[in-house]
Amino acid sequence: MKLAVISCIHGNYEALDAVLCDIDNQKAEQIYCLGDLVGYGPYPNAVVEMIRSLDIPTCQGCWDEDIVEGLNACECSYPSQLAEKRGHLAHEWTNRVIHPEVREYLASLPMTLRQDNLCFVHGSPNSQHEYLLPTMDGFAALERVLAAEADVLFCGHTHVPYLRELENGTLSVRVQQPGQGETQRQFTAPLKRIVNAGSVGEPRHGRPNATYVLYDTDTTQVTLREVPYDYKKTCAAILEQGLPPIFAWRLERGMEFAERAEDAGHVCER
Amino acid sequence: MPHLIAISGPSGSGKTTWISQFLKHQSTPQYYVCPGLGDLSVDLAHIGYRFPWVQVVPEAQLTAILADLPEQATVYLEWGFHLDLGSPFLAELPWERVAVLPPDLAESDWHGWSDRIVTGNPVAAPANGYLPEIWCTPLNGQVFDPPSLEALLLEVSGGAYGQVGRMKGIFELPDGRAFHVDFVEGLPGMAYTELAIPRWLEGRPDRFSGIEVVGYGLEREAIAQTLLDSTLSDAALAQYQQHYQSLDPAEEALFV
Repeated sequence: MKLAVISCIHGNYEALDAVLCDIDNQKAEQIYCLGDLVGYGPYPNAVVEMIRSLDIPTCQGCWDEDIVEGLNACECSYPSQLAEKRGHLAHEWTNRVIHPEVREYLASLPMTLRQDNLCFVHGSPNSQHEYLLPTMDGFAALERVLAAEADVLFCGHTHVPYLRELENGTLSVRVQQPGQGETQRQFTAPLKRIVNAGSVGEPRHGRPNATYVLYDTDTTQVTLREVPYDYKKTCAAILEQGLPPIFAWRLERGMEFAERAEDAGHVCER
Repeated sequence: MPHLIAISGPSGSGKTTWISQFLKHQSTPQYYVCPGLGDLSVDLAHIGYRFPWVQVVPEAQLTAILADLPEQATVYLEWGFHLDLGSPFLAELPWERVAVLPPDLAESDWHGWSDRIVTGNPVAAPANGYLPEIWCTPLNGQVFDPPSLEALLLEVSGGAYGQVGRMKGIFELPDGRAFHVDFVEGLPGMAYTELAIPRWLEGRPDRFSGIEVVGYGLEREAIAQTLLDSTLSDAALAQYQQHYQSLDPAEEALFV
């Protein structure tokens, strides 16, 4: 069975439309969405309506959560003070234009989705705000996959797609309890994988093209897809809607705004 | 008799770099003048910080200083691209005229004006006399959030707020250091140079910092807002300074 996994659409309807066409051409049978449907982009309502109309299983992203709960991501989630101020502007705008039923839908989204040995999350199994960067310590990365009780963990949030294979994961545990001798046990984890779907609407790979992944459950093959689309339409809409023009400039260059903690292990404590 | 040298050329051609090679020598009194921007000249401040033995001459004192120069003095007058080469000020004194020009520039007003030509950076000269705008602002006392500063410099030089051919500035960071930043369109990268001046870790720095942007269609208000959004509040600055003051040198090396 061929799955398509999309993430981080951020109100970019043009990009979503192009990706859905590509998924159709690739003949994927099931689509999963890893959240962040809204924020920064000019069409949050249209994006949510499209996802709902296609009945795409979706988990909640950090932006979706903030629109429901109020902006409360901790400040250390932002890479800079400038990014934080711009994030607040985007939040305020989105919060103002979002339809009540869209907000309700975002509130209803689960944190995690599952299909057999596959787990789907926005950031990590711990939090929508945690980044599983490709450079994350191998032990910590393995812990996240094991915590999800999955063989393949699909995530987004970083806006850069990647496939990470965690092979030969050997864990040694030494236990010494009062009054008892020391015991040592070793566990060997089977191959685990982390698949980051990148971003449909706000890529961070230096080009404006949308990204997503295909996964074949029979062959376990992962394919990272990069889809060109008419990003200039989105840029024009950003300006028309009164969002900061710098959002359009950065979108054109594949420089997204999403929050990105410097410490990959950081978990937002709000 | 004092040696008077006037240097001109397009923005980014390397006038200040050419002058700087002579300012390293401390054997005779040297003066540096850069009229046209009042007290907001980044070059004036940069030369002052970099070569403390050189007397940098504020525009308002120019006439008085020139009237009373020591015999052995050398005066370097950086005549910006935006200033009139036919100015009476240049005609009144016996300036040696040096034009720092891009290698491919075969014909220009500078060719007719100069006594000698020095080959500079391969920058584009203004087309058909259509001069770019200059926007500058002092930033004295402002201290920048480093990643925000990095983002704004990338955006300004990348053309987010107009077509920028040149950008230079002096910026203060929360660890007390100040940096000179230099960008010339067409040359690789952006040069960041830490200034050899004392670290400022007590309140807002009381010394010159500022930015100068040269280009077409500059969105001045947007640049100014981005600069403001990137500067630290009093509370944030106090927190940083307390942190850096508490570090011993060994620990500090880890943060630099």
